[in-house]
Amino acid sequence: MRRVDVGRLGLTLAAPVLAVLVAVGLTTLVLLAVGDPVSTTWGTILDAGADPRSVALTLSSATTYYLSAVAVAIGFRMGLFNIGVDGQYRLAAFVAALVAGSVSLPAPLHVGLAIVVAALVGAMWASIAGLLKVTRGVSEVISTIMLNAIATSLVAFLLREFRSPVLGANNIGTEPIPASGRVPGLPLVPGTPERVYGLVVLAVAVGIGYAVLVDRTRFGFDLRAAGGSQSAAVASGVDVRRMVVSAMLLSGGVAGLVGLPELLGASYTYSQTFPAGLGFTGIAIALLGRNHPVGIALGALLWAYLDVSANPLQILAGVSSEIVEIMKGITVLAVVVAYEVVRRHRLAREQRQVARELTAGARTPEQVPA
Amino acid sequence: MSEPSTVEPGAPVPTSEAAAPAVELAGITKRFPGVVANRDVDIRVRGGTVHAVVGENGAGKSTLMKILYGAQRPDEGTIRIAGRDVELRSPADAISHGVGMVFQHFMLADNLSVLENVVLGAEGRHGIGDGARRRVLELSQAYGLGVDPDPLVADLGVGDRQRVEILKVLYRGARILILDEPTAVLVPQEVAELFANLRALKDQGLTVIFISHKLDEVITVADEITVMRRGSTVATVLPAEVTARQLAELMVGSELPSPQTRESTVTDVMALRVEGVTLRATDGRTLLADIDFAIRRGEVLGIAGVEGNGQAELVETVMGMRTPAAGRVLLGEQDVTRWSTRRRREAGIGYIPEDRHRHGLLLEAPLWENRVLGHQTTPPNARGPWINRAGARADTRRIVERYDVRTPGIDVVASALSGGNQQKLIVGREMSGEPLVLIAAHPTRGVDVGAQAAIWEYLRQARADGLAVLLVSADLDELIGLSDTIRVILRGRVIAALDPSDVSPEQLGSAMTGAGAPA
Amino acid sequence: MPRVTSIATALAAAVLAVAGCASESEPASTATGSEETLKVGLAYDIGGRGDQSFNDSAAAGLDRAKAEYGVETNESVASEGEPESAKEERLRLLAQNGFDPIIAVGFAYGPSLAQVAPEFPDVRFAIVDDASVMEDNVANLIFAEEEGSFLVGAAAALKSQSGQLGFIGGCTVPLIGKFEAGYAAGAKHINPDAEVDVRYLSDPPACPGFSDPAAGNTAATGMYESGADIVYHAAGGSGSGLFEAADAAGGLAIGVDSDQYLTADEAVRDAILTSMLKRVDVAVFDFITSVRDGDFTAGEVVYDLEAGGVGYSTSGGQVDDITDQLDEIAQKIIDGEIKVPTEP
Repeated sequence: MRRVDVGRLGLTLAAPVLAVLVAVGLTTLVLLAVGDPVSTTWGTILDAGADPRSVALTLSSATTYYLSAVAVAIGFRMGLFNIGVDGQYRLAAFVAALVAGSVSLPAPLHVGLAIVVAALVGAMWASIAGLLKVTRGVSEVISTIMLNAIATSLVAFLLREFRSPVLGANNIGTEPIPASGRVPGLPLVPGTPERVYGLVVLAVAVGIGYAVLVDRTRFGFDLRAAGGSQSAAVASGVDVRRMVVSAMLLSGGVAGLVGLPELLGASYTYSQTFPAGLGFTGIAIALLGRNHPVGIALGALLWAYLDVSANPLQILAGVSSEIVEIMKGITVLAVVVAYEVVRRHRLAREQRQVARELTAGARTPEQVPA
Repeated sequence: MSEPSTVEPGAPVPTSEAAAPAVELAGITKRFPGVVANRDVDIRVRGGTVHAVVGENGAGKSTLMKILYGAQRPDEGTIRIAGRDVELRSPADAISHGVGMVFQHFMLADNLSVLENVVLGAEGRHGIGDGARRRVLELSQAYGLGVDPDPLVADLGVGDRQRVEILKVLYRGARILILDEPTAVLVPQEVAELFANLRALKDQGLTVIFISHKLDEVITVADEITVMRRGSTVATVLPAEVTARQLAELMVGSELPSPQTRESTVTDVMALRVEGVTLRATDGRTLLADIDFAIRRGEVLGIAGVEGNGQAELVETVMGMRTPAAGRVLLGEQDVTRWSTRRRREAGIGYIPEDRHRHGLLLEAPLWENRVLGHQTTPPNARGPWINRAGARADTRRIVERYDVRTPGIDVVASALSGGNQQKLIVGREMSGEPLVLIAAHPTRGVDVGAQAAIWEYLRQARADGLAVLLVSADLDELIGLSDTIRVILRGRVIAALDPSDVSPEQLGSAMTGAGAPA
Repeated sequence: MPRVTSIATALAAAVLAVAGCASESEPASTATGSEETLKVGLAYDIGGRGDQSFNDSAAAGLDRAKAEYGVETNESVASEGEPESAKEERLRLLAQNGFDPIIAVGFAYGPSLAQVAPEFPDVRFAIVDDASVMEDNVANLIFAEEEGSFLVGAAAALKSQSGQLGFIGGCTVPLIGKFEAGYAAGAKHINPDAEVDVRYLSDPPACPGFSDPAAGNTAATGMYESGADIVYHAAGGSGSGLFEAADAAGGLAIGVDSDQYLTADEAVRDAILTSMLKRVDVAVFDFITSVRDGDFTAGEVVYDLEAGGVGYSTSGGQVDDITDQLDEIAQKIIDGEIKVPTEP
């Protein structure tokens, strides 16, 4: 029994280790090919891990990425490809900024309001795609891409309508959120004044919620069943149409939170320079983390870490920042390939076990390992 | 069992001539992860004959044919064609040695003409113009196939399509044709035509290898029959010297289990009633017309019919996966017509789906999660909105033990199990929680004999305990043996009601075609 | 606006003078600046070097400083979707590693510079296109794009046969609105009946319209087909699409930022009437020069017509016949006789 568990654990670890090794190897080849200094590059990247400030920055960045990837993963778990996380979070962050910037409430309520508004807006925007899918059969891939474009224009238009006179110059933004709506950073990393987004707590909560929901609840089971085999889910009594809408609502709700750590923890306004494209990063990280709550966290940390090392790479090592993008791409590819290899290996291994069981003939079920 | 004159595998068949056999497989072994698909297989096929290979599902017929067709390579053993050792690395290799395969599922492009389909991929042989047309007509003529090269394949019937498939293979120069379950998709009239075609091919000196598990057909058309069981060849026999039952016993290696139910357990408590159910496809075609039947507790109602005549739609309507245009479905006294699938399941309808891979299992999920599937909302799998993992796991262990599911544990994924064990898990799952009604679609399809006997026994016990069963099956023995009453369905209509105690499989078979429905 | 500008300029001159005195009285602090090799850090906005827009223009200024003064340089670029903290970190790393001065290209750096500049009071910073950061060690290099645009608008109206003009903006940000406003006002100044067809290619925050020649081409083609004969763009790299469309339709186009007659594909040069010059390169070079010479001044440095920070180009000779009129207008703007709007 123990032996089986060790074998399983080994297989679980094999994929990411294999993937990282392949990614490092291929990146080194790229560096050699373009004539960049290999050891300096890796040295710079590793140094960032030892620098408390970089660690704090990584945690902050990963907070945002994690939320985005969980939003994508919720869709993935039932076979929905929510490409619209990007539009959902931008619209949600904008509306939340607008609302939080225009009210005055006690601190916890103010922050709570921003969170609720963002989640609702994200969910509503995503539900459009869900409803279109179940009523008109429109692929969510198409509709969410379209909704991204609409969200961009809508936010740009509304931003001009509701621009704050406070920000002068060439940038425009919403009215800055007053102090009661801001979430102070947390001094999580000793040795640096750099603080981690206070809403890292929210990301952790969302992660736990996601894990519990998917693994422990009936709803999560239905979600996974629909993702594993839609036909089997239908036969088992899952109302797939309702699940599509629910999954899109949930995915969009989490997507709505993506912009909040930055909004409530750093920028306090939704301006024209608010980070864009986080929804697409989320897709890559969900792939990287295999939709698993812990896997996504590791993926988000890795991604954020590579991001944070982009600046030192450029400034200290003189290596183009594109090398970081290449590294990310290779990592995702390596992970996808490695997991497929390991998955096949695992299936073959289990089939062999079953075969042994059958050829062994006599079998007492009491000995079946749990 | 020793009655028919069986011959040892590989030994000369009594009537064989001195000439080298057209195909000779010797010592073929093929292993897949977890299974030995073929073990030491020996077959000799004489030229100019129809040679049948029979065996249960999973006996290794298909793997063997894939090896002969070059789609799989054997781990051990030799293939000789016309006396020469050959190595077949690909289907192209096989065709260059004159071996061609006619698949059970046609591989034709609907939007191309017959001629275009035949020529597609073999443009090098006779071009694509008049030369190709001439050759197609020549072949059609020579083998009496009667294929017209011009219509679109989309407009052809099943029998015609099959002839196009045969022509395709002939066009590529095949002298040895493998036909995989060719009659599965045909109605009796078409089967007769196919057999005439096969005889014509044989008369022209071609060799036909005919894979089937329909024993009556095999005895009709074959010159020799090789029986496979559990990956090995167990006998080669002459059709004149065996009966279908003897063949079947060779296939399963023992006295056939009998699906006979004993005394009637039918009560007068209504369990499931279907009243005037009519179902239409989205394009308006009528899939089910005015279906009426009732099943009482302790009763098994069998639905007989050639596949594709509305059985699947009927099952899905009863399960709430399709919404009828008219009519009612009643569970006990309750009208459940508008109920969701889940609500029906919660109310006590168990469901063994026809296609366990598509509808019955989450192949990539562990067994215990498959135990939950379909019963997500009821104990022991659920507690409020939560999945009760401990409860589900414990109950999975119970099912594994009680229903003899052969598995190293409940954490292996479903796809690792053999078909029979997967099916036993499903049966065990659907029998849990004491359902009132069980919808069993082809409950023993593709499972080994041991599992089949076990599943029949479970059904019988449940029936004795008062379960009402709607049984859909293509296995006529199973239908006659298990059912208390039989309805025959044809083109979405119930065309006959039969009493299984005084109907033979032959009578039932002809009733299914709508020919002469007795009674 | 012009009045404000001139006040600002006067103030700047005064500060400059004071700074000059200070440097004379304290030679130690600035002499090192000019004798040791200057280490210049430059942080681009998304796109970086090669964007055929203001990043490139800034790079040109840096290159010139490198060639003329032999300064040591370090460039780094923002990536899409990066948080505020990444921008801060970029500036911080440059400062920590001895770069001084440091130039932030684009208003996106406003908030991060406001954070970082006070952390390094001895490092001199400049930010292009932003006036919101007010620190003692930050120079705000800002441009009167509307003034230059006014001139090319006037040129377009003078040259137009149909009285129908076009404007293509890369993104719906207020900065590009200044181009549009000045252009339309300049055209109407010459011909009150002139019509300006306005198209924007994208919305913030991503603003792909600054690097989408195909979109520029489509928008421009539509304008030419509906009767416009001269189209002005403020759309960065998308401008090449406009030039192709102008060439194909037999119309004229007006370039932006740099003298695009010199940089555009030779085949389409003749379609370029003139270009509105926004001399980010000059601003960057001037800033580096001021630091080198110990003349650093904090606060707004306005690059307007008067300062030669904006203007129009004459390469190709297509506006040679109207330069007198344009220069007259320019003088009126400088003198405050013509007030140029900054919002459309």
